[in-house]
Amino acid sequence: MASSSSLGRVLTLCKRFQSVFRISPAISVQHCAVNLKRCQNNLLSFVGQRRALHTTVSRRGLEEFFDQPENWGEPNVKSGAPWTAKQLRTKSNEDLHKLWYVLLKERNMLLTLAQEAKRQSLQMPSPERMKKIERSMVRLDTVVRERETALRLLQTGQEKGRPGDWRRNVFGYEYWYRFKEYTIPWYMNKRHERKKFYTPHFVQPHIRLRIERFLRERARKVNLKRKTLAKLKERFPQMKLPSS
Amino acid sequence: MRLTALLSMAARVVAPKDYRYGTNRPWTEAAKRMNPPGKRRKKVFVEPIEAEDWAILKGDMVEILAGKDKGKQGKVIQVFRRRNWVILEGLNTHFRYVGKVKDYRGTYVASEAPLLLRDVALVDPSDRKPTQIEWKYTEEGERVRVSSRTGRIIPKPVVERRDGIVPLQWKDGPKDTSPEDALEKTYVPSLKTLEEEVMEKLGIQEHRRHQKSYWY
Repeated sequence: MASSSSLGRVLTLCKRFQSVFRISPAISVQHCAVNLKRCQNNLLSFVGQRRALHTTVSRRGLEEFFDQPENWGEPNVKSGAPWTAKQLRTKSNEDLHKLWYVLLKERNMLLTLAQEAKRQSLQMPSPERMKKIERSMVRLDTVVRERETALRLLQTGQEKGRPGDWRRNVFGYEYWYRFKEYTIPWYMNKRHERKKFYTPHFVQPHIRLRIERFLRERARKVNLKRKTLAKLKERFPQMKLPSS
Repeated sequence: MRLTALLSMAARVVAPKDYRYGTNRPWTEAAKRMNPPGKRRKKVFVEPIEAEDWAILKGDMVEILAGKDKGKQGKVIQVFRRRNWVILEGLNTHFRYVGKVKDYRGTYVASEAPLLLRDVALVDPSDRKPTQIEWKYTEEGERVRVSSRTGRIIPKPVVERRDGIVPLQWKDGPKDTSPEDALEKTYVPSLKTLEEEVMEKLGIQEHRRHQKSYWY
């Protein structure tokens, strides 16, 4: 029963991926590059327009901010399940890059729809689409980060991309201090000199009081747990002791 | 990062330690009326039941053993694991007025009260009588509920997905990827980052060099 349901799930799950942007051998790299050059030539001929708008095969304007015309005015729009991280891990980097922009455009479309519905004081049709898109994008980002971390570990042995250090602040707390990027070195930075990464001597009594308070709270929690267990045993004599 | 953390803190509902959870979700008006900020109520002791021993699921047919509607069978609509409650459809009801407005007393509606797990029992589909349940393993290794009186396996009720999709009857829309495309494996592991690969494919050349910067 479990195997058939999972097979059914695998065969009939549907994702967000516009067919126009389907990566196939037909759309080759040179085609995209040619389009890019063509766009640039067209636009550079106009005075004042400097940026190339898009490099995709289809060239559409503001319609992409709106849903397809057949869905206009409908109270419910059908949408499939979101992408899972397992499926995204099987896709190449180029596919993920293109999928990100497809999802982004869909997200912009949904946000426009939500804003317009709010403006007209109506309910947005099928708001669960926003959550699905958000989750897909988050999972895509996670997959890309995983790949980056793996490569970084191989090449440098560092797990984190941004350098940091364990530092102690003025209040006696040790925390992970994330480095910032500056144009001048630390010995020339007057503002950075004023930062204190040490605990002064007069803070020690306060730290001791803090430790005492923490120990007291922990003892109270343990006592409370023991007392509630005793009370539960009294009220429900046949109960099994919870594993936690 | 800190701004988003602040916003998420504002969005989350913080309940005090001795909050009494009821059938209404904590962010609704009804819950706020029942638990105003200054109230203190006696602590509720809930019999601890392990997650794997939980027998009654949403959508099951269940019989009431004690209370006003003793002996009646109904379908489970909602399950509250934290308080060992089940709400049955149309049973154990009391009546109240809903949507009261000045000069209008509101609609007289039957609302179901929750029942404790102790007071309900699963119904055996073969003889339609209440039974006690044990969790056992089948030949295939699947964990199922077995009635202790007759030994019949009680199947899990079919619960529809929250988004209303029925997988076997689904038809792809124009924006949906077909299953073959979604499952196609295009990943070739390489020692290039996503940015490098994409730049190569699009023919973008980066001639700018990174200026020396300091990290501290």
